[in-house]
Amino acid sequence: MGGPGSSSPCASCKLLRRRCAKDCIFAPYFPPDDPHKFAIVHKVFGASNVSKMLQELPVHQRADAVNSLVFEANARVRDPVYGCVGAISYLQNQVSQLQMQLAVAQAEILCIQMQHEQPLQSHHQVLELDQEDKALLLNSNNINNCNNDNNNLGYAMSSGQFNSNFASPSSIMQMQMQMQMQDPLKQESLWT
Amino acid sequence: MSSSYSNYTNSPCAACKFLRRKCTSHCVFAPYFPPEEPLKFANVHRIFGASNVSKILQEVAPHQREDAVNSLAYEAEARLKDPVYGCVGAISVLQREVLRLQRELEETNADLMRCASYLGGEAASAYGGRRG
Repeated sequence: MGGPGSSSPCASCKLLRRRCAKDCIFAPYFPPDDPHKFAIVHKVFGASNVSKMLQELPVHQRADAVNSLVFEANARVRDPVYGCVGAISYLQNQVSQLQMQLAVAQAEILCIQMQHEQPLQSHHQVLELDQEDKALLLNSNNINNCNNDNNNLGYAMSSGQFNSNFASPSSIMQMQMQMQMQDPLKQESLWT
Repeated sequence: MSSSYSNYTNSPCAACKFLRRKCTSHCVFAPYFPPEEPLKFANVHRIFGASNVSKILQEVAPHQREDAVNSLAYEAEARLKDPVYGCVGAISVLQREVLRLQRELEETNADLMRCASYLGGEAASAYGGRRG
């Protein structure tokens, strides 16, 4: 940690070329050994905006706020058009696809269970019944129930404005996010 | 001299209204911040700042600027709603949902295999019984 007196100034004060006061709001979160962290946040958000945001938060939430700002800033620098909104779009599509696959698999199980309850006449007839029931079940409430779960995810999922106004993310961003999002460890600590 | 966008002969764009300056025909914000959506620019300005938005717009190709503005507006709104996590919170929620669905799909596919093999075994034995 940078800071007071004879200590090294924090990364923010170094970049801004000012004296790093004892109560510097940036010092706890932008150590002097990681200059890139503040540089990128300053580039996207601006130092005064970051300062205002931090001042509005209780102290125990500021570290998380800084980390999420760094994440957003990095995403915006990598993809100036979509930023981390591109990742949201990609994940929404992934959720939709998985829900569809799940609905199909669940419908197939129901088909099989229904066949099991009916007397078996011939193997060939069983196969034909499978196709009809599968089509019926795919149009049933099972899919609607899966979609209802989708709407409960929060404003990101239910934001019709976002879904209607955005084109698909760039293919490069898709690949980058695919590589990132496949790491399950990142779900809880996106920025560590 | 009139254009489809705001200029000094028409109503100033939301950005110039907010910044209290003259909205010229070359205003970089005018195409994307119409005067009837004042909150859009206000949010973006509060989180990113007008000069940063201007720099971002100048960096991207003209045909991508509308998407860039919309994504900035989305991020700004998300940050105002959740000052700690912003839209990163939504990413976290979605990642967890993806993992949950993947696990559920694996379990369901495993159940499906079990059901299919069980039914296949019963059908085979019924067919074999009729033949035998």
